Amino acid sequence: MAAAKKKNRAVIVAGTRTPFVKAFGALTKVDTIGLGVAAVGGLLKQTGIAHKDVGAMVWGGVILPSGAPNVAREIALDLRLSPACEGMTVTRACASGLQAVTLAAAAIERGEADIVIAGGSDSTSNAELKLPQKVMHALAPLALGKPTPAAYLGALAQLRPLSEIVPQRPRIAERTTGEVMGEAAERMARRNGISRAEQDAFTVRSHQRAAAAIASGRFASEVVPIETPDGKWVHTDGLVRADTSVQMLAKLRPVFAKDGSLTAGNSSALTDGGAAVLLMSEGRARALGLKPLAAFSSWAYVGVDPADQLLAGPALAMPLALERAGLALADVDLIDMHEAFAAQVLSVLKMLASPAFAEQRLGRSAAVGEVDPSRLNVHGGSLALGHPFGATGARMVTTMANELHKTGKRTALLGICAAGGLGAAAVLERID
Amino acid sequence: MNDVLLELGKSPAARRVIGSLGLPIPLPEQLRRERGPYVARPLAERAVAVASPQGGTLVATIAQTLAAAGANAWLLDSVDAAAFHAPGEAYGRPARLLASLPEKARLDGLLIDATALRHIGELRLVFDATAPLLGRLARSGRVVIVGREGVAEREAAAVQAALDGFVRSVAKEIGRIGATANLVRVVPGAESRLEGVLRFMLGARSAFVSAQPVVVDAAARLIEEPAFVRPLERRVALVTGAARGIGEATARRLADEGAHVICLDRPSDDGPLSQLARAIGGSVLAVDLIDDDAAERVAQQIAGRGIDIIVHNAGITRDKTLARMKPELWDAVLGVNLAAVERLHAALLPHLREDGRVICLSSIAGLAGNMGQTAYAASKAGIVGWVRAESQALAARGITVNAVAPGFIETRLTAAIPFAIREVARRLSALGQGGLPRDVAEAIAFLATPGAQGISGRTLRVCGGAFVGA
Repeated sequence: MAAAKKKNRAVIVAGTRTPFVKAFGALTKVDTIGLGVAAVGGLLKQTGIAHKDVGAMVWGGVILPSGAPNVAREIALDLRLSPACEGMTVTRACASGLQAVTLAAAAIERGEADIVIAGGSDSTSNAELKLPQKVMHALAPLALGKPTPAAYLGALAQLRPLSEIVPQRPRIAERTTGEVMGEAAERMARRNGISRAEQDAFTVRSHQRAAAAIASGRFASEVVPIETPDGKWVHTDGLVRADTSVQMLAKLRPVFAKDGSLTAGNSSALTDGGAAVLLMSEGRARALGLKPLAAFSSWAYVGVDPADQLLAGPALAMPLALERAGLALADVDLIDMHEAFAAQVLSVLKMLASPAFAEQRLGRSAAVGEVDPSRLNVHGGSLALGHPFGATGARMVTTMANELHKTGKRTALLGICAAGGLGAAAVLERID
Repeated sequence: MNDVLLELGKSPAARRVIGSLGLPIPLPEQLRRERGPYVARPLAERAVAVASPQGGTLVATIAQTLAAAGANAWLLDSVDAAAFHAPGEAYGRPARLLASLPEKARLDGLLIDATALRHIGELRLVFDATAPLLGRLARSGRVVIVGREGVAEREAAAVQAALDGFVRSVAKEIGRIGATANLVRVVPGAESRLEGVLRFMLGARSAFVSAQPVVVDAAARLIEEPAFVRPLERRVALVTGAARGIGEATARRLADEGAHVICLDRPSDDGPLSQLARAIGGSVLAVDLIDDDAAERVAQQIAGRGIDIIVHNAGITRDKTLARMKPELWDAVLGVNLAAVERLHAALLPHLREDGRVICLSSIAGLAGNMGQTAYAASKAGIVGWVRAESQALAARGITVNAVAPGFIETRLTAAIPFAIREVARRLSALGQGGLPRDVAEAIAFLATPGAQGISGRTLRVCGGAFVGA
């Protein structure tokens, strides 16, 4: 396999995350940087890695704090890592976390660093309210110059009508099309013929599997507790509902269209959380006596037209990553897909299984293949666990690396859809 | 130049008042047009009803075209739904039965594959498919019938020819809501070239193209998988008479699609010409085409880089009845409108690359004749014969040669026409209004794309379904 031949192969040694909690819940007062500090701090503690050995930090985020957008550097400074530990922050919408991790792997394989911590965090609770640009422009002379009373009056005059200067409620809407992501998923459900019942059934399965993983202690090594500024400790994920059922979900009202099929139940919720992954060169890991769990065989990032099927990206990215790894879908033991919406996952599965899609959209003679439900999202996904945008990719890498290690299975395929019509995928292989 | 009735028609209140008073004032519909360059899915979310009486032979191509262009297909009972299955799945555009579309929902298009019709009695099926749906057609909607060209058998030939009259009349019936109707005739063997033509005919870019047959043939060498987005990337285009009006709009459209445009006009128009070239990142060529050495000078400028698209747009009018026409005026009109085209073409031919495009400006006046425009009409009709002949000579190299025949277009030229005559000219088209230079530019840009490889030697009217014309 491709990665096995690399001299300087980057390996995944460990990963941890904070509990994922619904926005405006227990973690409201912990900001994006604080969530990152908790995830990385837990990782350092768990692995016992020396602070001075961490050479670089790569972080992913979507709602970046405007006062300190380079979250990676802030985490390193807050944790008192060596000042030499450099840091960068990347954003690729919901694929930001995976982007950070693959950037770290690439840096190691290019010999730029030996030990890198990568991950992502997002605090939806701390999204900044945006003042309309009109207000900014009107007030700029007051803030930046030596204003006269006349200037104040002039600025005030520019602010009318008042309805235009009320801070805007943040929406997860596409900049180019203005379409809210749920509306896009709603259209995908309709266009790909995904029923409400299928979506609800998929959602229930996600909750049941996540609940089983938590109950069995499967996540015990992955989730580290976090202390809030009030001195309270949060230990477990807050969104998973072991007792949910198709009957309960069926009662929910559609939220994105009057006669729609997407509900608050079968859509992922706004979530606070952070996740971190420790990557090293294989040689360094072995020298430190650490057990490498997995390595990347390949990854792929793609774009589709946001005006068409906004969240179809994984249907293109996953086949591409498989191709780069020299694998077929049937060769893959585990598949982990980010569940933005049940409708989106089911749409992508339909595309992967379609010979017509393969022929016309991928230029292949045969379908990518049917995804075996027993291999897909074996411990649930974002529908049950929640989706702190920047953290999800790192969470998936950690869970799959651990799963390969624990089960002795060979390969795992990751797929993530993201705003802007982006798609991301990666293939992980176990290291013996 | 302002069309008062068109402006008035934009106001719903005015429409109501005029309607309820029963005033005999036609209020033309504001046409839906598209700005900016071509997009991957020009028909995104449009509802298109599809019929294929007697199992039309091009259903598979139609299914593929609609799904890839983003349209939602609604099938009449005559259609083989199986053909729509694979494209629908690939593009997430499952075709559904028209019967399941809510009664109130409007149709943006009606597409009929009439290629299988052979018997006169079967024309009834076209009536059956069209008549009940015209009332559901949206404003600026499209009716497109796909027929066959080159049918030898007597009765079938009558059927295919009948579709022409049918479409022209439908166009007049639906023109008042800004909708158009056209017939696309496909020569056997040219099926793979239909997609680009349907994208144009069903989309908003053909706003002022109505009531005519368009033939798609396989004469010019095939271009595999023509690009529909930025189709003119890395092409070099020459537009004569580019300083204003149709020429300027054409230069802008070609540049929009990625072409480097050489803007040619007389040295006296240097100002607007340079401004245009700067705006679109093109270059300037200030030459008066009436000069004896003009063609040679242009060829010298072109020689280094070669040329892909030539738009012979420059033209003049010197309107006089034949009785009053002076010989020098006759010479001037024929000289610029026809002789200069021939000379420039001959000089540029060695530099014209494979799969190139030659597009000339004809005129409805040339097709129908016009009082006081004898010289002009002769020159513009001459263009029709010229493109027909030259298309055959260049077909093997993949080069197409076509003409565009504008009807009443709102330009500086037509603004100078006396009010009463101008008003009549505007209302004589099925759409009840004049076209914009942009509408002609859209037709020229379309003919310049690889997607129009099936059209050569033809004259495409951009006249809003003029009362007269071939």
